[in-house]
Amino acid sequence: MRTKSRWGRQAAGARAAPRLIALVLLLGSSCAPVRPEQRAILADKIMRFGADARARSALEHALENREGSIGGGSVQGGGCGCN
Amino acid sequence: MQLRRAPLALGLGVALAALPTHGQVAEVDVRTQVFHEPSATSRMTVYTPELGVSARPTDGTRVFASYQADAVSGASEAIKAGPLLSGVPDIVSRASVQDYRHVASGGFSLERAHARLDASYTYGTENDYRSNAISVAAGTDFWQRNTDVEIGYSHGFDEVCSLAQGNLPATLRQGLDSSEGCFTGSERVEALDISLDNFRVAWTQTWTPVFTTQLIFSGGLQHGFLGNPYRQVVIGPTGQAAQEHHPDDRSRAALALALKYYARGLKTAFGLSARGYRDSWQIQSVTSELSVERYLFPWLTLLVHGRVYAQSGASFWSDDYTGGEPSYGPRGQYWSGDREVSPLKTLLAGGRLEGTWRADGAGRWVGVFRQVSAGVSFDLVKTVLDDFTWAGQLPDDTLVMLPSLAASGTF
Repeated sequence: MRTKSRWGRQAAGARAAPRLIALVLLLGSSCAPVRPEQRAILADKIMRFGADARARSALEHALENREGSIGGGSVQGGGCGCN
Repeated sequence: MQLRRAPLALGLGVALAALPTHGQVAEVDVRTQVFHEPSATSRMTVYTPELGVSARPTDGTRVFASYQADAVSGASEAIKAGPLLSGVPDIVSRASVQDYRHVASGGFSLERAHARLDASYTYGTENDYRSNAISVAAGTDFWQRNTDVEIGYSHGFDEVCSLAQGNLPATLRQGLDSSEGCFTGSERVEALDISLDNFRVAWTQTWTPVFTTQLIFSGGLQHGFLGNPYRQVVIGPTGQAAQEHHPDDRSRAALALALKYYARGLKTAFGLSARGYRDSWQIQSVTSELSVERYLFPWLTLLVHGRVYAQSGASFWSDDYTGGEPSYGPRGQYWSGDREVSPLKTLLAGGRLEGTWRADGAGRWVGVFRQVSAGVSFDLVKTVLDDFTWAGQLPDDTLVMLPSLAASGTF
């Protein structure tokens, strides 16, 4: 029986990804939309993603010295010893 | 020269932000965090003060600038050995660490009815490391603002200082003993390049008036010297040590899903997130986090959160490299003393109190601020190392305390 190569599977995955995203977006849009006058709670800082961006950034700055899969951006020292 | 440009750029950003233009709303934010890791042998304390300013000189335009510093002091192990050398006295050497890092950043945002564009530049410097990064991000919302999509990209071009050793084979290269001469043209040391490319796509979706989600895919490519130039690893059974040697390339990808739900009956917002990660060093990790946030008073919020993280080790990770690995195998080609690439778990628990006060009507606090907020937080991070020792001894610097203070004002 012929099996798909790794490249073949990756190519199929790459073709399927945009379709999956489009499907999820379509499903999202098909829900009854939240109207502007219903957004009071969503607009509050305790419900907004990124409302505490500075606090989150400071915490990640500390964690990137102790975990291997966080960070990887830039502006991090190579020799401060805290790695 | 770059050192002189960074404060100039920051000053220019601050001056721009402070221009008394029509319709301006400006914000200043100060924060300080302490990273304290008590230990009998390798304690570490990092003070991180931060100042940020932003202003809206015109409708739809925002400029911002920030400065952050790290003042690092403590002691750290300079040579990593495994359990097989536990009988060798002083095989693990420790050195005191004193360093300062300065990071200046500035940028702007353009906002229209349903679209936005951000661009920023960041410059970082310390005795042995230089960093430059440019970042751009664009986002749009649609379907009555219920869907928001954002893409972002950043490129970093960094330099790290290392001992100048010509074309010596990796097994003979030695670690840097001090930052003396770094970035001065000294022949004792050399600057090694690192390039970093990161991108991300974020999709935020509102489902009901009390439920919203965010899905983020991020990826990164790193190329260059990716180890610690100071750290040495024992690679020979007689104690022969060489500079830490990591692969020059690393590609990373992560997918994260976060949910927020507001329980009207409890008047509380619940947050739940999960993240999966994998990179070309074969490190895989999963992270889950739960947060609970509510108003104790109309002006005071309390956040409590907990986080669990687990990762596997890199393909070339070993607690001991003296076992005679084949030279073509991952542990024969590369060696590391970095516990970040060993299998580990971290547990985090903490909380934050934040108060916000708004001036009545057209009034201002202290004659200046329309709104003032202040917060205090405390987090504890415990690391559980599955396969990492200092010559057979378990590290005792596995608990981090993270207190922080923050304040901001809008005027």
